[in-house]
Amino acid sequence: MINFIQSILYGLTIGGILYIISIGLSLTFGAMGIVNFAHGLIYAVGAYALYTVATLLGANFLMGAIGAIAVSIPLAYLIERFIIRRLYGQSIDYAIIATYAVLLIGADALKWFFGASPLPISDPIGKLWYFGGLQMPAYRVIIIILAGLVFVGLSLFFKKTLVGKIVVAGLQDREAVRSLGIKVEKYFAIVFIIGSALAALGGVLYAPLSTLDPYMGFEIIILCFAVVIVGGMGNLRGTAIAAFTLGLVHSLTAVYLVSSAADAMVYVVMAVVLIFRPIEASA
Amino acid sequence: MFSKIEKSPILTLALVTVLFLLYGYATSLPKITDFIIFCIFVIGFDLLYGHMGQLSFGHMLYLGAGAYGCGMFAYHVYPDPFLSILVGVLLGAALAALLGTVVVKTSAAAFALLNLALNEVGAYLALSPLHEWTGGEDGLSLFFESYGWVDFNDSTFRFYFCLGALLLVILVVTAFVRSPYGILLKSIKENETRVKFLGYNTFVYKYVTFIISGAIVGFAGALTSVNLAYCNTSLIAPTRNVEVIFAALMGGAGTVLGAVVGGTAFMTISNYLASYIVRWEMFLGVALLAFAFWFRKGIWGYARKL
Repeated sequence: MINFIQSILYGLTIGGILYIISIGLSLTFGAMGIVNFAHGLIYAVGAYALYTVATLLGANFLMGAIGAIAVSIPLAYLIERFIIRRLYGQSIDYAIIATYAVLLIGADALKWFFGASPLPISDPIGKLWYFGGLQMPAYRVIIIILAGLVFVGLSLFFKKTLVGKIVVAGLQDREAVRSLGIKVEKYFAIVFIIGSALAALGGVLYAPLSTLDPYMGFEIIILCFAVVIVGGMGNLRGTAIAAFTLGLVHSLTAVYLVSSAADAMVYVVMAVVLIFRPIEASA
Repeated sequence: MFSKIEKSPILTLALVTVLFLLYGYATSLPKITDFIIFCIFVIGFDLLYGHMGQLSFGHMLYLGAGAYGCGMFAYHVYPDPFLSILVGVLLGAALAALLGTVVVKTSAAAFALLNLALNEVGAYLALSPLHEWTGGEDGLSLFFESYGWVDFNDSTFRFYFCLGALLLVILVVTAFVRSPYGILLKSIKENETRVKFLGYNTFVYKYVTFIISGAIVGFAGALTSVNLAYCNTSLIAPTRNVEVIFAALMGGAGTVLGAVVGGTAFMTISNYLASYIVRWEMFLGVALLAFAFWFRKGIWGYARKL
């Protein structure tokens, strides 16, 4: 039983990180109909920025996290300005190809600066918390709490702020919002940057649980597409539910079936959802 | 000049033969054999992308199916090269027929991502649960029977065999896309709703095309494992999907010769230039961006206008 609860908690950790990364992807997909592979690059850059600040420069983990987000914002701006913006209304194939190219360029740049070998990052807290017979790394508990905070924060952002409201309206009917004289694209760009900063945060959070390698963006982005598709594009609550569900599928498969099947199981869920609930891309 | 060549099948085949012979004997035959097989892969992929208008981000699955079908037959059943290749083609086609029933119903982003998801699952199956048959991470080392001069252990024979295979594929696919069926396919690419209004069952046309594409790509996979005398998980790796997409885009999607030009150009760059360019993936990415933004017609798309 304790084993079961433990694997559920581990699944929620993975789910929380997937949620934090996927939210930006979901918004780009839902709002602009763009399949954005470059999102995986921002995630990887976030993790490497953490490594640079926390390990190479010797600052603490929190500074590393701030550094990662600080790096991701100008990078996201550049990607939005020079790549994504040119792809509005274009055939979806070119969006897939162009953003994949960005991911490829970025991964190679990371390999250039940091080398191809995997880099470890140690758990910043390193404590175990005990609840009865259950033991849980404190760091993982914090990730779950943080994912909850992000969810609440984003819900408030989209309900209470003007920018958030415009984006929600734009998701439903872009033309109608535009006819009110609002430049929807500008607001989408703001949300794109917020989503990217969250992806960098996801990279920071995931780094201590795994190791860094230049191609880490490729692996995570496909899992995140699974989340976005299962949750429904541009559907904020759906993304959260899908992320935690797939996180649980991932960890329960690893514990109770075969550990190597965990990723494949997520793709099976993704394929099943794609088959039974076809998506309609707006492009 | 180039458009005239394209219109005449004999001129096309003659030109392709001469150029590959020159290229092969000027450099190395085994290497150009790889190039030729890759061209077959690109033609099969482009049947969906260029001619039908659906981008598959998981066509390595069918290459892998062909490679493993051929490899497993030769390894476990009987090492006859022709039967093995046939099994590879049939496995590629059968897998496409099975998965096509659901994949073809989707389009655009869903089509691309569903193929990618299935490719991931397939690569996992080949690596882990089926490792007793596929050899898992180590793959299978293959040996093929030889009959007199029909000797697949001889690299010169393999070169000519694969060149013949490429010519056959070019001939068949060119005839296919120029037939009324192919024209209907192009209409589906332009506007599927209108084709439906005309009373055609577009699903059947797309489904059959998907199977043909799976068979051609499976053929390329089978030839790959015959040529390399092994098959392993790199032949089904989802991360390699970008190669064929890039080749199709670079050559010019939607033309058979464009696929051949793109396949050859891509392999040339990745085999020769890659040893000079240290940041090879960066170069590939920048080139990919350039083609996606500015040169959408591809090399052949511009050359045929000359």
